[in-house]
Amino acid sequence: MNESDKQFEKAAKRHFDQSVDGLDAATLSRLNQRRHAALEAAQAPSRQWQSWMPATGVAAAALIAVVVFQSPSPDGLIEAPATDFEILLSEESIDMLEELEFYSWLDTQELEPGADVG
Amino acid sequence: MTAGTALFAVSCRPKATEARTLQKQQQLNQFLAEVERRALRIAEIGVRDRDEALDLVQDAMIKLARNYAGRGSEEWTPLFYRILQNGVRDWHRRQAVRNRVMVWFGKAKQDDNDYDVIAAAPDPAGRTPDEEIQNSEAMQGLEVAVHELPARQREAFMLRMFEGLDVAGTAIAMGCSEGSVKTHYSRAVHALREKLGEHWHE
Repeated sequence: MNESDKQFEKAAKRHFDQSVDGLDAATLSRLNQRRHAALEAAQAPSRQWQSWMPATGVAAAALIAVVVFQSPSPDGLIEAPATDFEILLSEESIDMLEELEFYSWLDTQELEPGADVG
Repeated sequence: MTAGTALFAVSCRPKATEARTLQKQQQLNQFLAEVERRALRIAEIGVRDRDEALDLVQDAMIKLARNYAGRGSEEWTPLFYRILQNGVRDWHRRQAVRNRVMVWFGKAKQDDNDYDVIAAAPDPAGRTPDEEIQNSEAMQGLEVAVHELPARQREAFMLRMFEGLDVAGTAIAMGCSEGSVKTHYSRAVHALREKLGEHWHE
């Protein structure tokens, strides 16, 4: 380590110390509160259920991964319900509902190849 | 020993234990009060967010008090920083996972761009405005350069330089050998000097 490295170290330390000394009152107050809260929390008995939290988190992440990866595409998840909704609300669909009897008849005609549809 | 003396000794034992616990609590409180401001700035440089840094410092305080209060007070500094550095590393891992998940939902977090170093710079403490601007700019440059170092170099530099730990203490805090500490630290100093330029501290 040469002389200029040492000068750099001194300057870095000085700037850091000044930034520590310059911490504002609000931050110092928050630090003080955090310290007291930490000491109180450390004295309180630890809660058993918290030990299950990482396992629960992993299970939730795995579930999300399965849902995301098994979908054909990310857009498909949103498009399918939107398409159903559009079909349901479109004017054609209302017409179709009004003429449901006709479409039922048409469907039976298509199932019978020999039937006269014209 | 008479029965009366024995009874007196037994009845005094809980009080003596209580007094020792209280004394340990006071020592721990004093230690944390001494270290907390530097710890906050070190964590803040590591994660570039004051609120997150406060959370990390508080977590480190809880873990130290819960698990290591019984250790000798001379061991607290490296242990505290080891816990804090682990917290910072975990924070970075969580952020990386969170960002990957957010990408799926098209909401990648742009945390680096949101951070305003000038806004987060500490308030002045009795210095002239010129000094304040100079110091603030120099520290801002240093902070960004330190943050951009590889994680192990950053840790070695901050623990050795900012916290003032010796090589042995830094090795405990980083969980590595003293030789590794020297290597990481030396590389960090050279990288920082190269990044900041020769005239940075003048």
